[in-house]
Amino acid sequence: MNLPFPFGFPAATQLYLVLLVATLLVHMVFMHYVLAGTAYLACGRLFGQRQAADCGWQQRLVDWLPFATGLAITAGVAPLLFVQILYQRGFYTANLLLSHRWMAILPVLLVCFYLLYLQKSSWIARRAWVWRIGVIWLAFAGFGFIAWSWTENHLLSLDEAVWAELYAAGGLRYATAGLLPRLAAWFLLAFPTLAVELFWQGWLCGEPLDRPASESTRVLGLAPVQRLAVMGLAGLVGGTVALVAYAATLPAETRAAVTGPVGFWWLSAMGLGLCLQAGVWGVAVRAGRLGRPLAGLLTAGWLLGLAGLLAVREVIRLEAVDLEALLPQHERAAGIGGFPVFLIFATLSAAAISWCVVTVRRGLSSRV
Amino acid sequence: MTPLIPYPVVDLGPLMKGLVIGGLGIFHVFIAQFAIGGGMLLAYLQWLDMRGQCIHGRRFIDGYFRVLVLISFVVGAVTGVAMWFTSIQISPQTIGVMVGEFHWVWATEWSFFCLEVVAGYLFYRYGSRLPDRTRLSLLLLYAFAAWMSLFWINGILTWQLTPGAWLESRYVWDGFFNPGFWPSLIFRTITSAATASLAACVLINAVPAFSRDEKAKLIAVCARPLIFMLGMPLLGVWYFATMPADSRSWATGGSVPMTMFMTMAVGCSLLVGLYAVVAILRQRLFINGATSTLLLALAFVATAGGEFVREGVRKPFTVRQYLYSNAIAPETVAALRLTGCTTNDPYPLRNAAAYPTQQLRLGAKAFRVQCSVCHTLEGVNAVPELAAHWSIDQKRLNIAQLQRTKPFMPPFAGTPEELEAIVQLITWVEAGRPSQWQQSHDPAVRQQIARWLDEAGTAPGYELAAAGYSADGGSRRR
Repeated sequence: MNLPFPFGFPAATQLYLVLLVATLLVHMVFMHYVLAGTAYLACGRLFGQRQAADCGWQQRLVDWLPFATGLAITAGVAPLLFVQILYQRGFYTANLLLSHRWMAILPVLLVCFYLLYLQKSSWIARRAWVWRIGVIWLAFAGFGFIAWSWTENHLLSLDEAVWAELYAAGGLRYATAGLLPRLAAWFLLAFPTLAVELFWQGWLCGEPLDRPASESTRVLGLAPVQRLAVMGLAGLVGGTVALVAYAATLPAETRAAVTGPVGFWWLSAMGLGLCLQAGVWGVAVRAGRLGRPLAGLLTAGWLLGLAGLLAVREVIRLEAVDLEALLPQHERAAGIGGFPVFLIFATLSAAAISWCVVTVRRGLSSRV
Repeated sequence: MTPLIPYPVVDLGPLMKGLVIGGLGIFHVFIAQFAIGGGMLLAYLQWLDMRGQCIHGRRFIDGYFRVLVLISFVVGAVTGVAMWFTSIQISPQTIGVMVGEFHWVWATEWSFFCLEVVAGYLFYRYGSRLPDRTRLSLLLLYAFAAWMSLFWINGILTWQLTPGAWLESRYVWDGFFNPGFWPSLIFRTITSAATASLAACVLINAVPAFSRDEKAKLIAVCARPLIFMLGMPLLGVWYFATMPADSRSWATGGSVPMTMFMTMAVGCSLLVGLYAVVAILRQRLFINGATSTLLLALAFVATAGGEFVREGVRKPFTVRQYLYSNAIAPETVAALRLTGCTTNDPYPLRNAAAYPTQQLRLGAKAFRVQCSVCHTLEGVNAVPELAAHWSIDQKRLNIAQLQRTKPFMPPFAGTPEELEAIVQLITWVEAGRPSQWQQSHDPAVRQQIARWLDEAGTAPGYELAAAGYSADGGSRRR
């Protein structure tokens, strides 16, 4: 196959691959906010109550994390649906092999969700500082467990050779060389996303991020934009190192697929996206502020990097699975009616969501 | 032909898998109904408030919505995903078929989830600072999106029992708008409205700031949707009429547990409906926190009973005439009787050394494939307990002619050797799992089992009954 992903695959497979990557990207936007946001808050809390009060990002995260979690779960439903069409056997088998361990992510998610609500409640505000540290660290540990479980589940779904042996052993754990670097890559690359999102949240709330910061907004001597830039850069560097480490664990033919015609353009897009982000954050560190044009470039780099990353992820998976056996399933699924109905209602729902946001903004401004 | 895809089988120990998914499903359905009905009720209250017909309406709406978000947006969302994951754990083949056939319907439902979450959260966060018209618009959108999620999932759930013309056409909309679709949709809509009303009564009583008079006025308004419960008997009869005759018969005496759960659902609904219509709406009695909580609990029991019956009356199928409860397609039974249900299973036993003979190991594998989705060996619905007083030949006969023994059981889909291995396994477990066990390799026994299997054929029990087969081993047509 000499065409870039997803071209070169049969039309039905292309359709589901595009839908999977597109909906997964939307899920990532919120999931990264939750994962990195909880980690940021957990670490930020350790610096003490006064600094947390000074740091607007922490307040914002406390305020928005529950909603972002709800959006992450809701947005996660669509890729979960399309993965069942594309890779049903592998996905189901990995679920079944990890069994109770895998299913534990659900009660953990439930607890974490409520901990985030607890974090913004007046009840916790009246408690000692250590309570707030405990609650957010517990939530972070929970989300970390979920991230680990997803990574393990994904890698196991690609490794058919170990399925029967793992089942017989009944161990409910799958340890492989790629697990830690892959988990680290996803975790660390969540921080650049969080940095971009916090920037735009601040912008929408009217914070003067394009102007030099006042002393009162500095924490540890860093302006708000500089703090974001440091977080974004650390995530980019750490994530890239972890990606390289993960690549080293892949079989040579998989690496060849990623660097070959199928994956090369997406790998390049990912690299370009990461470099763009690093460049813009570098400028922001020096200047202590970030104007709108550069922020636009940063956002473009972020989206490009994320899209490239997700496409490369699928190229790796497609190399590992028996695609020929899956194609008839994709063909059959695509032949089932209902796609136009989905498109129509998805468009109407998107329009209604936009209308809601605009109407609420108008409603709020009319009351001011 | 739908092939039997070998998946690793999850062992839930003494727990019956059906109870796990059923329990979660009941919980999820109740919360989802609360969210759907809650949206409709709050939009109605907002409208009344704007017309000056609901004192403290605005304050109550904001409080109720907070509860809705904290319960429905969190537990409802997570249990929704949990339903999918649990379905994979229980029967990957079944959920695989459902996703394959209805993924665009599910994707459409998802688009309404997104709208529901955004509209709901915007209201939760900014509702108190918004003008009345914007509040009403958001609530209407939220209620509409929540109800649409019911609309879409209802088509998939009713398809499982009454696939209707889909069986012939395999056309998605034939399956979606199946015979059970409309009665079920209207019934569930009324149930949602009733659940939300009863939950509102509980919440009103839980607000200490309201005086008794204010509570009474709010309850009188919130209880109005309960009037729709008057339509439930008619809808129930309509829904029943769309069911296949054999499924209907399970709930009307054919199966004791089904009949009991059916009676429970009808009885509790009747109690709630009568109290609501006579005491709350007609006599305008004040209901306190304890009474409203009791009514809500009864509504939960009614939902639980109804959902249990809905799941149960599908037997022996998980998708009527398309997939049996054990995920074996009807058209593959004949082939599996020749090739065996364990032949292509790549997954070894987890505790193979615990079985003293190869035959018992084969039995354990066959049991895993054919029986374990509904039965255990030592736990809930354990086969050794169900067959405790059967002789060994009775076991062979009853399992070989399973669809006659119990018409809600699927036909046995394996070789005579596998059947004999299951019989030996059951008997070995009954005997307390001794470390020594005699293998049974009598060719006469195999031949007898093969004859019994042939006599019963591969059709489901209700078809045999309809064709005039009697349960005494004959193949006479009436």
